[in-house]
Amino acid sequence: MNGVSLRIFLVCILLVLIFTGFAWRLINLQVLQHDHFSEIAAEKHSIRKVITARRGRILDRNGEELAVNIPVRTVTADGTHIKDPKALAKVAAPFLGMSENELEEKFSTKDPYVVIRKEVSEEKAQDMIRAMEQAKLRGVYLEEGSIRSYPNGEMLCHILGFSDRSGKGIDGIEKVFDTELAGHEGFRLIEHDRKGREIVVYRGQEQLPEHGSDIRLTIDMGLQAIVEHEIDVAYKELRPVSATAILADPATGEILAMACRPNFDPNKFNEAKPEQMRNRAITDMYEPGSTFKIVVAAAALNEKIVDEKSRIYCENGLFQYGGKTIKDHHKAGDMSVAEILQYSSNIGSAKMSLRMKDADYYGYVRRFGFGEKTGIPLHGEITGLVQPPHRWDMLTKTRMAYGQSVAVTPIQMVMGMSVIANGGKLMKPRLVLSKGEGSAVRETEPVREVVSGKTSEFVSSALEKVVSQQGTAPLARVEGFTVAGKTGTAQKISPRGGYLDGRFIVSFAGYMPLENPRLMGLVIVDDASIGASANYGGLVAAPVFSKICGRAARYLDLLSSGTSVAQSAISPEKP
Amino acid sequence: MKGNRRRATNAIEVDFLARLIMLVCFLGLAGLFFVYLKNQQHAVGNQSRNLEAEIRETEAKTAALQARITAMTSRGALQRRLDEGYIRLEAIRDTAIARVTPPATAEADGVLRTASRDSDTRFGPGVPQRVLKR
Repeated sequence: MNGVSLRIFLVCILLVLIFTGFAWRLINLQVLQHDHFSEIAAEKHSIRKVITARRGRILDRNGEELAVNIPVRTVTADGTHIKDPKALAKVAAPFLGMSENELEEKFSTKDPYVVIRKEVSEEKAQDMIRAMEQAKLRGVYLEEGSIRSYPNGEMLCHILGFSDRSGKGIDGIEKVFDTELAGHEGFRLIEHDRKGREIVVYRGQEQLPEHGSDIRLTIDMGLQAIVEHEIDVAYKELRPVSATAILADPATGEILAMACRPNFDPNKFNEAKPEQMRNRAITDMYEPGSTFKIVVAAAALNEKIVDEKSRIYCENGLFQYGGKTIKDHHKAGDMSVAEILQYSSNIGSAKMSLRMKDADYYGYVRRFGFGEKTGIPLHGEITGLVQPPHRWDMLTKTRMAYGQSVAVTPIQMVMGMSVIANGGKLMKPRLVLSKGEGSAVRETEPVREVVSGKTSEFVSSALEKVVSQQGTAPLARVEGFTVAGKTGTAQKISPRGGYLDGRFIVSFAGYMPLENPRLMGLVIVDDASIGASANYGGLVAAPVFSKICGRAARYLDLLSSGTSVAQSAISPEKP
Repeated sequence: MKGNRRRATNAIEVDFLARLIMLVCFLGLAGLFFVYLKNQQHAVGNQSRNLEAEIRETEAKTAALQARITAMTSRGALQRRLDEGYIRLEAIRDTAIARVTPPATAEADGVLRTASRDSDTRFGPGVPQRVLKR
């Protein structure tokens, strides 16, 4: 090989080596380290953009909105995109309600993500972006969001509850059905240019959000407004520690209205005190007093220990038992079961309880739903207090017969009284009609059969007399309708033991129309600021019940008692 | 000499050259068309991004307005207006309420109505009323 050929050969070898190196480097970059470099590139350009799910609304049974979302924007800044913080602050300040200096300070950053202001209204945020575009400024961006709003303010606050700023349910229906209301957020993998704008062509994997389901309650806001108004009036006039009212459908257990005082505005939940936020209908227990007499009467009748014609000697108003004296307001000798309920005889009730076996009596108390949670879908429900027979002293049984030595929640009392109203069945309180559009509305099924239809019918007819002129609650009457119910007046328990003198929890639990009960109502007034001589269930709670049910009957266009269908040509009933 | 020069001259292969030019032109056009399509893709992408933003903005505005309407027409707001005297409730007298009578059924009175909602439609529409024979 001569010199020229050798040189050509060496050049060729060199070129081969160089291009082999290039090829190797190319293979290394594109094949061997492909995943690594793709990851680095994706980190620089790709973003997993979260698509937020819309929180479901809460509606009443007729579709009226009780909790809605208001769209708002979170204003953020990318310091790497801001060239003139001062000019940007001048443009943005009027829309954000912040001073120019404060904004300039926030914009003078190299941080790629700074939250400038949360919960800016949609209109203001869009106007600000337009003003920025006109001024050819960039670096400020908007994030989607929403805040929860309760358009009715304080109305129904204890049932609705509230959610926090991040949209998480904290109390009430908002908390119990948080998963259903929240839905699931989606995402989209995107790439953006140097200005931060999405390059649609390189849009990657996408998963659409599942918006939250609307929750439809059994509450009828027409009835709720009536209950809220009447309980408000009573709360202002009587100035009690608390007041509670519940309206339910005794046949289905559906809660139609529920209100407690004191209450709060869920839109300003951070200003509310704990006692305002308590749903006393489920979290508070009280000695029911005479309303509990329905239990012993129904139990004794159902067990055939007494019948409609039985007469019980009521000791002319004074009965010595277990070293204590049981007194009656209405002093009488013999009384029938109906009269015992009508005149609210403590002695008659106590004597009926004494005729029953402890276990049987206790069994009926429990079968009526006392001493256990009703299962209403709200947090914080308590079981009440019913002592088992082995913990009874000599007086417990007789005291329980007229509603002492036992503590119940208002919702338990509503469901217990509904047993008498609906023919003997204990219903589970129902608060939610449906979850999400198209979800099936389940029929309610009774928890258990407590007493026979005949027993409930007899107790019902006795409770009708309670509301008569001779009974303890003539003020509970509703014009045009036959009402049945029972008053309760119980002394308040002292935290130090025993009872507080002259301080009472008074109540009235009743239903109407008697022939076909559509409304079951309970009104409880705790420690009204009136004289002890006037502080009775029949004088304080019964009139409130009457006003509520009178207006509710008109609202529902109920058929007056004794009017036949043919006479009235009634309109179809409201759903 | 002359003869030698003529021999040294290479003939132009027009056929081959034409093919090559055609190929280059075709490749060039394909490249340009590719760039054009890519640009179009980006332009349409931008359009769709802007349109999506507009839709989101409109949706958000609608939701904000709906929330305002709900707040202004809620029971609480109406009650406040009622208390302040801006609106008034007028009681509707019982005589002014028209109640719809539930339709009589053939089972009840034995009369088959052509426009009734009876489940038994054997007679179909347009058939005159007749009395059920029992």
